[in-house]
Amino acid sequence: MRRALPTIIILLAVLVVLPAILSAVGGGYWFRVTTTIGVFTILTMSANLVSGTTGLLSLGHAGFYGIGAYTAALLATQLHWPFYLTLPAAGVVTAFFGIMLALPTMRLIGIYFAVATLGLGEIIHLTLLNWVGFTRGPMGISAIPGISLDGLFTASDIVNFYAVAIAALLTAFVLGRLAHSYYGNALRAVREDDQCAASMGLDVVRLKIQSFAFACFFAGLAGALWAHTTGYISPGDFRFSESILILAMIVVGGLGSLPGAVIGTIILLGLPEVLRPIGDYRMIVVGVVMFLSILFLPRGLLSETSVLHTLRRQFGLAWNNTKHVGWRL
Amino acid sequence: MSTPLLDIRNASRRFGGLLAVDDFSGFVRRGERVGLIGPNGAGKTTLFNLITGFTPLSSGTVRFDDAEVSHLKAYEIARLGVARTFQNLRVMPNLSVFDNVSIGALGALGHSPLTALLGRRKQADEISRRSWQAIERAGLQNQAGELAANLSYGKRKYLEIARALALSPRLLILDEPAAGLNDTETAALAQFIRKLSEEGLTLLLVEHDMAFVMSLCERVMVMASGRKIADGTPQEISRDPVVLEAYLGSAEEAA
Repeated sequence: MRRALPTIIILLAVLVVLPAILSAVGGGYWFRVTTTIGVFTILTMSANLVSGTTGLLSLGHAGFYGIGAYTAALLATQLHWPFYLTLPAAGVVTAFFGIMLALPTMRLIGIYFAVATLGLGEIIHLTLLNWVGFTRGPMGISAIPGISLDGLFTASDIVNFYAVAIAALLTAFVLGRLAHSYYGNALRAVREDDQCAASMGLDVVRLKIQSFAFACFFAGLAGALWAHTTGYISPGDFRFSESILILAMIVVGGLGSLPGAVIGTIILLGLPEVLRPIGDYRMIVVGVVMFLSILFLPRGLLSETSVLHTLRRQFGLAWNNTKHVGWRL
Repeated sequence: MSTPLLDIRNASRRFGGLLAVDDFSGFVRRGERVGLIGPNGAGKTTLFNLITGFTPLSSGTVRFDDAEVSHLKAYEIARLGVARTFQNLRVMPNLSVFDNVSIGALGALGHSPLTALLGRRKQADEISRRSWQAIERAGLQNQAGELAANLSYGKRKYLEIARALALSPRLLILDEPAAGLNDTETAALAQFIRKLSEEGLTLLLVEHDMAFVMSLCERVMVMASGRKIADGTPQEISRDPVVLEAYLGSAEEAA
């Protein structure tokens, strides 16, 4: 395999070098920061499949992340399922919800789809917040068991780190396979020109649903990891602002690029931690970095399509279609 | 004689109060090169959209290879072997030439996330083989790795045709292939299209360049105000008084 060497380097870097460095600089806290970044890389890589590769601007990704987190948390606290069952269950349940919620919106085009997903995210957030009998509402769910396996390992920062790291690597592998294949080209064709893609024999609606389902599966996985690694979740973790943060990470890294999604996450989550010594000013620096990156790198660091091009297409689609505004029949 | 490859019967399409295509009947035989001409706004592109499933018919039927395709979706009709190019070029600018062409092969061979996940080589090899074949037929070998956005206007025309060829179509529908090309480029394109036809492809094309249509096509259908007003060999058409009035009359206005 010609890609064997980079793969080995990445595996070594994430599974050996990174934990060694983290232990050297003091362990605990930095492991938790890295774990958070790991969970968000899974989120950004999955959102990138929908928004970057397939070109469907999704503003509700945090909602699906929340469904995964609550699925895992409830299964673990109410039914006492171990993490190796709650993890895939959260992915499957979220993918199922994703498909069900996406079906009515899949024929929407451009900005209408974006607004519909914004609504979906809010519906999920408000449900988590107000269905107190089931989700405990704003009190959240606490005492979620950590990631442990009897006789092998018990929950600790290092176990959390490895669980998230392995999940993120698997996500990168699966999403990389999907995006860097002819199947990925089909998704890109949907992004570039969906009507033209249809005239070439591509089933556009099916492709959109598939990419949405995959993205939701991994968002659910990220949610489950978040629930198990932090031990406490509340609806506040899955607000609209998180969806926007995910999107910002993708845009900074470069729409449509898998490594870009990872780099964007590291920048936007790592920077505030590194800048902690300068206190609250650090969020200003983060804002400035985002602003400058859009200004000077409108294509992001590693993108295959520019944000402006994608947005223009999304808005353009909205006012091109005079007969059935917003719908592709 | 066998049934025609494409058979349009009493096709109509209404947009609000406008009858864009009005009771159009026509056919294309296997292996034929048919031109569709008419003044601007005659409904030619709408007719193409009806054939390819982009716009639903208001009434009438379209049959392709003895099967009714009137109610099929655009991608289903494409998979049956009807490929098209667009009047305003629709290449995918952020994709390479090869990736653009691979879309056509992908549409013909089917696409599933499972084949991508399992890394099945067989289908990928077939897509790559068909794409290269189409790229070579269109003479784009040297630009295969180039982003489509960086191609010249003329080359993009060939890219669109290559992408359509990768679908392995039985009917190729070209919407104004020569628009925007100079005389040399038009002549080269005519030669290329003729070669495709000689290799067995059935062609239906809309074109404004009369010399192009008259020299290339074996039969010409003429449309005006959504209706078919004439159908015959280029010689017959160029002498038909109805055509001269409808077509040349508007050409004078345009001049």
